Amino acid sequence: MNRRSFIGTMGSMALGSMFFRDGLLGSPGVVQPLHHKPKAKRVIQLFMAGATSHVDTFDYKPLLGQRDGESWDPGEAVELFQSRPGATFASPWNFNPYGQSGKMLSDIVAPLGEVVDDMSFIHNLVGKTGVHSQATLLQTTGFNFAGFPSAGSWVSYALGSENDDLPTFVVLPDHRGFASNGAKNWGTGFLPAQHQGTLIRPGNPTPITDLHPPKSSFITPESDQAGLNLLNRLNSIHAAEREGDNRLSARVRAYELAGAMQLSASDALDVSQEPQYIQDMYGLAPEGPGVNDSVLNTKAETEFFGRKCLVARRLLERGVRFVQIWSGNDNGFPRRNWDSHENLKRDHEPLALGMAHGTAALIKDLKQRGMLEDTIILWTTEFGRMPCSQGSAGRDHNPFVFTNWISGGGFKPGTYGESDEWGYKPQDRSNYTSVYDIHATILHQLGIDHEKLTVRNNSIDRRLTDVHGHLLSDMI
Amino acid sequence: MGPSLFSSLFLFILVMIAATIAASAAPDFESEIAPIFEANCLSCHNSADAEGDFVLQTRAEAFDHPDAIQPGEASQSYLIDQITGLDPAMPEGDDPLSEEEVDLIFEWINGGAPWPEERVLRDDPPRDLDWWSLKPVQKTNLPGNRTDNPLDAFVDQKLKEHDLEPVGEAEPRTLIRRLSYDLTGLPPVPEEVERFVDGYGSAKSERSRDEIWKAFIDRYLDSPEFGEKWAQHWLDLARFAETHGYDKDKLRPNAWPYRDYVIRSFNEDKPYGRFVQEQVAGDVLFPGDPDGIIGLGFLAAGPWDHVGHYEVGEDKLDGRIAKHHDRDEMVSAVFNVFQSTTVQCAQCHHHKFDPIKMEDYYRLHAVFSAVDRSDRMYEGLTPEQTVERNQLLTRINRLKRETYNINADVERELTARVSGIKRRIREIKETYGTGNNPRLGFRSDVKSKADSDTWVQVDLGKSTSVTQIFLIPAFDGKSEKGYGFPLRYRVEASDDPAFEQNVRLLMDASQEDQLNPGTETVAVDVGPPAIQYIRVTATRLKEESTGHLIALGELQAVDSFAEKNFAHNTTVTSSASLEEGERWNPENLVDDVFYRGDFDQGVFEELRALEAERDRITAEVRSPDIEARRKEVTAELKVLEEQLKSYQSKSLVYAANANWPSVGRFFATDGKPRPIHLLNRGDLESPGEEMSPGALPLWDGAPETFFESADWQEGEARAELARYLTRQDNPLLWRTMANRLVQWTLGKPLVGSPNDFGRAGMEPSHPELLDFLAIRLRDDPQQSVMSLVRLLVSSDTYRRSSQHDSNNAAIDSNNQYWWRADRRRLTAEEFRDSLLTVSGVLKLEERGGPSFYDFVIEKPQHSPHYEYHLHDPNDPNSHRRTVYRFVVRSQPQPMLTTLDCADPSISVAVRDESTSALQALTQWNHALVEAMAKRFGERLSNEALPSTEAVVNRATSLALGRPANSDELQLLGQHYETYGAASLARVVFNLNDFTYLD
Repeated sequence: MNRRSFIGTMGSMALGSMFFRDGLLGSPGVVQPLHHKPKAKRVIQLFMAGATSHVDTFDYKPLLGQRDGESWDPGEAVELFQSRPGATFASPWNFNPYGQSGKMLSDIVAPLGEVVDDMSFIHNLVGKTGVHSQATLLQTTGFNFAGFPSAGSWVSYALGSENDDLPTFVVLPDHRGFASNGAKNWGTGFLPAQHQGTLIRPGNPTPITDLHPPKSSFITPESDQAGLNLLNRLNSIHAAEREGDNRLSARVRAYELAGAMQLSASDALDVSQEPQYIQDMYGLAPEGPGVNDSVLNTKAETEFFGRKCLVARRLLERGVRFVQIWSGNDNGFPRRNWDSHENLKRDHEPLALGMAHGTAALIKDLKQRGMLEDTIILWTTEFGRMPCSQGSAGRDHNPFVFTNWISGGGFKPGTYGESDEWGYKPQDRSNYTSVYDIHATILHQLGIDHEKLTVRNNSIDRRLTDVHGHLLSDMI
Repeated sequence: MGPSLFSSLFLFILVMIAATIAASAAPDFESEIAPIFEANCLSCHNSADAEGDFVLQTRAEAFDHPDAIQPGEASQSYLIDQITGLDPAMPEGDDPLSEEEVDLIFEWINGGAPWPEERVLRDDPPRDLDWWSLKPVQKTNLPGNRTDNPLDAFVDQKLKEHDLEPVGEAEPRTLIRRLSYDLTGLPPVPEEVERFVDGYGSAKSERSRDEIWKAFIDRYLDSPEFGEKWAQHWLDLARFAETHGYDKDKLRPNAWPYRDYVIRSFNEDKPYGRFVQEQVAGDVLFPGDPDGIIGLGFLAAGPWDHVGHYEVGEDKLDGRIAKHHDRDEMVSAVFNVFQSTTVQCAQCHHHKFDPIKMEDYYRLHAVFSAVDRSDRMYEGLTPEQTVERNQLLTRINRLKRETYNINADVERELTARVSGIKRRIREIKETYGTGNNPRLGFRSDVKSKADSDTWVQVDLGKSTSVTQIFLIPAFDGKSEKGYGFPLRYRVEASDDPAFEQNVRLLMDASQEDQLNPGTETVAVDVGPPAIQYIRVTATRLKEESTGHLIALGELQAVDSFAEKNFAHNTTVTSSASLEEGERWNPENLVDDVFYRGDFDQGVFEELRALEAERDRITAEVRSPDIEARRKEVTAELKVLEEQLKSYQSKSLVYAANANWPSVGRFFATDGKPRPIHLLNRGDLESPGEEMSPGALPLWDGAPETFFESADWQEGEARAELARYLTRQDNPLLWRTMANRLVQWTLGKPLVGSPNDFGRAGMEPSHPELLDFLAIRLRDDPQQSVMSLVRLLVSSDTYRRSSQHDSNNAAIDSNNQYWWRADRRRLTAEEFRDSLLTVSGVLKLEERGGPSFYDFVIEKPQHSPHYEYHLHDPNDPNSHRRTVYRFVVRSQPQPMLTTLDCADPSISVAVRDESTSALQALTQWNHALVEAMAKRFGERLSNEALPSTEAVVNRATSLALGRPANSDELQLLGQHYETYGAASLARVVFNLNDFTYLD
């Protein structure tokens, strides 16, 4: 039974409110019609947990090389998160121009050089604090404390599903663990529960929790199917005897959808269906997810990130609206994230090369399939890192300026907004970009006015963009 | 020059005269104009909102708009346009200004619009208390002629008003199941169901039926399961969890006593006012009573940012932001939960809907300005000992702070002065292969015999003209030179990677043992023709402490002037198993990092100079005075900390606290309030005036500030707040709880927004009933929650059937007026508890104490990972009621979350009830369901029931509280016969009838 016939059988019941309560997959969004004609339909958020150094990747600062080792003086008092300001610290990597635009990229993100003319850079993003947990939440939910819906949940809530058998909002976490705040980064807050991000772990023996029965002494494929058939009958009878309660028939339907999801999710995750050249393009390792990563290394990082990018593309093709991809887990030791306080070179290099390889493949692949034009790829992180050194080989947090970039979805390629000559603060301090502006513009491209997408909670009409947000109209 | 100077002067005087005249004519800004603007304009025209791009906050901003205010020309001023006319544009959405007010503004502009530069206006709306929830609670007589149950009296009145005909009473089986779940959270046992159905169904009179009903109510209320079920309602509100949340999400091993306190309080039927007071200021109001301290677990129950408080600290802005969030979290919890007031909305501006000003909100911050959250002793010390301990702690904390400051100063100066030097030292050591962990070179594994041929080979990538090959021995600058350099070896080249053909011998040192070259480079002449592969084969290995092996520091292949090294960053392979790591790695053979000490003396001189400079600066910064003071402090601390050991107790609760031994950058206040300022736009970098403790003047007679003097005690401020909350004339507190009690018994509240009785919230469906119940709670000498629960569930309203009725539904489809009962889904906890109960594994008697884990913790030292999928669902330690589980904040329990359990990051007044495919997957496939189905199947099998019919009936009796119907007998029976009892059990756990209560 597809959704249309389902609606048909439910006859004249109050459909709007029913779907509202149901929280079933396949439910339409609340923004109907859209506020304006959309340019994009779906979003991938790439999140670099731990905070990527902008001055070592996308935001080239020759001054750091010229003043390397000299004491760093930006001309004002500097308060750092962990340390006291050390000397000016040149990037350990070379920068070279790429593409028609001649955009300077560092060697550790050089694989993105091939697609750099499809990317829009924002180098004057400003954060609120230098604390990982708060900064992560700010990027994922628009608030720097817990309790608010993730951007993916808002999009799911607003636009609803494009498919019947997969969740609208999927999260591909770092397989080594969650970033700070864990599941709060894809939680629904006060939105209905079905808008929470569904965790999928590509390469894991059980990529989706409870998708299939656990190992069992009594569950067989036959008993499983017979049980579902039986439930369908008994629960339908139960629902029919209790008129006027949509929840009961919705629950019958939920079990049917669960069955459909078992099939389509397994199919979406099966990357072996991809031709070899595609697997190679994403950098999948011959030994697969079991690749040796006892020491942080480029090969393993490429496999991990590339596999997630490839799975993301397959999910998008099947109608998933919003995919979050994480690189880096929480702040444990040894480091498995971007929080390079101690040794920038050791940690950033493999993580960045792995990320850049998979991301470049994703952009190319979406483009060749005609999907880049209506898919928004947002690359983000908590904040940037300082132009000065921490210890002798690391960098401390810099919430005062950092970089985001966007590709696809009707965003115009180029560079918008600059940081100052140190990469310490925005070039124009009274004119910078905030996460609210990014969120507002992404919603805009999806056909949503960020000021109109509201839900009342505790007396406040809550928005993804709080009370802020300006469209970045130059970029679209 | 003369005339010009004269004319300027003349002009100046003229202007001065004009200004003086104007100013004298204008109304006084401070007393007449500012109040009009502040009351009517600033809520939108402030610097933050800047609506219409017009800001009236400061003179500069107001005059920044080119036309708004034209001094001396009121009629030309856009501002006057906006506030006059038949239907004035401003104030938008509000009553127009009075004629008198408009006149004043007109004259003020004509008088030159004087506005002192330093005067900043602020939104200052009048307090509008005209709202239902802020009016005194009203006594109402019972309507109609029903006196047996006041709830029924009020509900019947509304039903009549709306032409609704209530449906009849539910079946006895439905009733007992409903009552059991609502009061205990557990299914009734089959014997109990039968006993009730027999008695209630066959009762001779309505009166005896009522008595049977009330007897069951009392039985459930008297059972310890009541508190376990009802505590969950409160813990949802109290945002209770046992980890901090945020980054690292560390454990709170001593949070559980608060959970037990809530359970105990419901079971003991603690007077509600006392329950409230204990949770805000129990330590001050009830000294010596452990519950007075444990109750303070409420204030501490929410999320806490370990990094912000512990690692960053208050001397940085990020740390102060963390403290601000912390107080906001406490203030919001108190007012959302006890008062249904959304006070947190007044953080950046006055409340948009309710009469709450920013000043009110920041006065509440002052109340909590000296408390943080940490483990606190709740028994074991006398009050005198507690005082002594706190005094000792104050001394200890002062010394800890001094140590911290000394270290911070030293570190600041050292970093500024030596970090560049240190980096250069590290660079030199890395490049010259002498660092702590240098990239030494290539090393083979250990061979048992010296004479095992072992080769290492470099692929130059393409055919290359090489003049010479350099073999550089491995050396770390400290231990033995020429480590692992072979005794006998050959150097060969080939264009065949397998070295099977075209092998060219370049050097043969294999005929006799060679002298170890130490740190000298061994040069091998090559010359034409071009080569691609270079192989060094050891024919006799050197013996090192671990055994025979070959090691090489670097291999270079250079052109004629040794300017270019073709081997740099090429590929290295070997016949030996390779070591891969930081020091030894095949890549290190061609990485251009090797020991150069013996031929690059200049660099080593630089290194020594840098090290000397570093040591000199360090000694200078760590002066003898500073070191002496540090030693002194350390010694004193040691003595005091020894004394502190005599004041220990193991009874700890994670609670609001001002006295504990400071740790990291988390410094106790020792009871000294932190200064609290009103924050303009909620911004810590824009502080306004300093605030003293107080609360919200939301009703006549409510105090605004607590103390006359600036010298007030931390505990007293909280005690004042507790007294304020529990005042008889507080219209909110009693209504708030009455509303919740209706929600927790009848399934929905009278006011649909239980945490918000403000203008953005909802209005009561039955206002008189709400006030009746509120007064009953307040004026009851016991302030008994149980007695109200008893009243509510003994009503006819509670006992109605949940059957649909189309006539009633046409009038009231949401059943707002209770013409029927609301069918409800089991909560997440009830579902889990039911699985355990029906399977017969629930350890009901294991009550209280530390929580059980239904996860495995990995990496607990730094950021614990809570791995639910690694937990064994058959672990008997976890077969306790769900209320005793360890609640993790950042990684919530997946099964319970999917089933809509509360998010402990925020106060949850009403849980969501969703239906999704993910829920179906959870209920059908979760490991716990599988395990419990198996146990339930075993239980059924062990009972040796005589027939399939008996098995099915027993299964439904246990799980659904009734015998099976004919469909079930047939279909479940067939399934049982084909697939067995466990599979039957799995199906039963997924029935609608198991999940929903009629």
